[in-house]
Amino acid sequence: MKLLLALAITIPVFAAENGLDPAAILKQPTDTWPTYNGDYSGRRFSPLDQINQANVNQLTLAWMAPMQSVAIKSTPLEVNGILYFTTPDNVWSMDARSGRVIWHYKRDSEGDHIGQRGVAMFRDWLYFETPDCHLISLNAKDGSVRWNIELADPKLGYFATMAPLVVGDHIVAGVSGDVTDVPGFLESLDPDTGKVQWRWDTEPKPGEPGSETWPQGSDAIAHGGGMTWMTGTYDPDLHLIYWGTGNPNPVLNGDIRKGDDLYTCSIVAIDPETGKLKWHYQPSPHDTHDWDAVETPVLFDDVQNGVHRKLLAQASRNGYFFVLDRSTGEHVLTAPFVPTNWSSGLDAKGQPRPMPQKEPKPDGVLVSPGSDGATNWMAPSFSPLTGLFYLNGRKVWSLFYMTADSKPEGWAGRDRNLWAESFIEAIDYQTGKIRWKHGIGDGESTSGILTTAGNLLFTADNEDNLLALDPATGKTLWHVCVGGRLVASPMTYQLDGRQYLLTPIQGIVLAWALPRPEKAAH
Amino acid sequence: MLRFAVFYRASIFACCLSIGSFAALAQSAKVEFDAAAVARGRTAFKSSCGFCHGDDATGNRAPDLIRAPDTSRDVNGNLLRPIIRNGRTDKGMPAFSTLPDTTVNDIIVFLHSQAYTALHSARVPNDYPVAKLLTGNAAEGKEYFNGPGGCSGCHSPTGDLAKVASRYKPVDLQQIFVYPAASRRRTATVTLPDGTKIEGAVKHADEFTVAIIGPDGWYHAWPLDQVQVEIHDSLSAHRALVEKYSDRDIHNLFAYLETLK
Repeated sequence: MKLLLALAITIPVFAAENGLDPAAILKQPTDTWPTYNGDYSGRRFSPLDQINQANVNQLTLAWMAPMQSVAIKSTPLEVNGILYFTTPDNVWSMDARSGRVIWHYKRDSEGDHIGQRGVAMFRDWLYFETPDCHLISLNAKDGSVRWNIELADPKLGYFATMAPLVVGDHIVAGVSGDVTDVPGFLESLDPDTGKVQWRWDTEPKPGEPGSETWPQGSDAIAHGGGMTWMTGTYDPDLHLIYWGTGNPNPVLNGDIRKGDDLYTCSIVAIDPETGKLKWHYQPSPHDTHDWDAVETPVLFDDVQNGVHRKLLAQASRNGYFFVLDRSTGEHVLTAPFVPTNWSSGLDAKGQPRPMPQKEPKPDGVLVSPGSDGATNWMAPSFSPLTGLFYLNGRKVWSLFYMTADSKPEGWAGRDRNLWAESFIEAIDYQTGKIRWKHGIGDGESTSGILTTAGNLLFTADNEDNLLALDPATGKTLWHVCVGGRLVASPMTYQLDGRQYLLTPIQGIVLAWALPRPEKAAH
Repeated sequence: MLRFAVFYRASIFACCLSIGSFAALAQSAKVEFDAAAVARGRTAFKSSCGFCHGDDATGNRAPDLIRAPDTSRDVNGNLLRPIIRNGRTDKGMPAFSTLPDTTVNDIIVFLHSQAYTALHSARVPNDYPVAKLLTGNAAEGKEYFNGPGGCSGCHSPTGDLAKVASRYKPVDLQQIFVYPAASRRRTATVTLPDGTKIEGAVKHADEFTVAIIGPDGWYHAWPLDQVQVEIHDSLSAHRALVEKYSDRDIHNLFAYLETLK
């Protein structure tokens, strides 16, 4: 009870009086979830421990909010007791204590409505990307539009789904779109005006470093793809942002883009002030299976034999887990986290080399994983308490067909799924070994993961159950059937001394908490 | 006995999963092009433009016109027609001022149809040509069917697979013989605390609960910590084979099954 009272009077120190001070994101949030991943590290580990192993079986519904929307794939922000979350074309502001809507912004648009990951916040302003590839700045108080700019032309095949990243006075925004052979890029925009501060192009210009990994004297490099469709992470000490890039184009045929196709399917470290590339690493050289390397580059530190090392880990869509030194990009470890059949082995940099015979063919090629990947955009997590990296993975088999009769353009083929089974895995980043594996059912899961200082891992299975697992063992500690799937990632925050766990289920937002102490007394 | 049934890749499901993999344009309504105009346009393009832009407009000495911004942004020739008519002399493209209007229109329709095809290439159509798939050896496929594959343990070319190649489009047949997802059946044998065994089709099974439709036709469910459960999956042999197949095995088997007409 003393603990609860102490927490109840905690003042929200990380949020400025009005809106969100970007400097506040540098501190580990407790009352605030200020960015897509909760903080800059991408760990999705919360220091909150009010809900813990001893009481998780008492979790109860705090509130629910049916949004009558498509499935919610966004992670809400929570700042000063207000939640901000999205679906394509829609932003809601909501009371984080009750789920009551404060305002709703809607703007119909053309373009791909496949998903929307969330907004970014800078002081009193929100930043929202749209299916027609616009970036819109909204007043967080009332949802009114401050400005609206086009990031890229939707007529060329661009669209947008991601939650931008705020670093200092930079709004870093990425783009999507790979059915046309358009080049990917990342832009930094001025938070007040939307003016472009810098642009980093996924493909180097002919003659620049990296261009030698494309055919020379052809237009392949200008049509190379490499979308930047997931939110990156940031190390304030090194002052570097880390971003994953998507597949090269044409997607399933690499004949007209022979070479490694940098910087597609890569993890890149970029100076947030200039947009200059510091280092790169390519999980999937010369990809021909749509294995975007956009999965969250998770940042954590390691001390071994007295040596302190700043690390970055990614569980990549191609089925391999990578650990890098995030200061230099130096390779530390590569290990498969599912059985795959497409690589001939690792090169000197630990990059899995693709086997030509497993590239898509006209008569069909059996490949694991399929194009949906051995994992995907679902949030991974890293707990400093266990030192384990957690991911939502799947074994998925597919037959890949290359269908183009003449010069391949666009996708130039597709895979047909056979079967899939999903699991949550805990990986020891020091060895790459799988510490535990918890099956979550047939098919492909899209549930993200949250770990907390309460020694809990929250996620969901493919049978409509929300789950709390023991992060050390994978053992189930709590579950509830919620009648639908978690297609977002759980998040948590504490207000008035009460910890809330948020789990959007399809189009319904569910908030969980422990029973209120005053009610328990009655 | 297993039955083959067409398993359509659940494209909506796939869309949910692979953000960034599909673009809006690919999901837009199907556009029907005037086939005659496309054919005329192709011929006209080849003779007037193909020498520089390639016969299929994907580029040669001059740029690829299929993945070109002017084609993507063009509406009924508003951008392309002036370029064809006036040329781009600064880039070495002559003006085609004498081509009849109808020919210019046909060329524009042809370019749009080519771009549409590229834009919608993220699929394996059901009418995918069998010739592309028939790279295997039917005799070796038959041997695999009766030998190492173990297929003949459950299937017969004169029984459930009789005329199977007539019943399915070739590309569907290849997919469903590897894994006939729609035919999957699971049954469970549930042993109650008193030793009673109940068997039935699985209605639901997760790590907490098993539910079956019992012999009485009623739905029955138990917490897993109170019963013993054995689940039988009709496709377990198919799953095991997927882990073992070489691509050659699949193509040989397909060639064999394609003879069953």
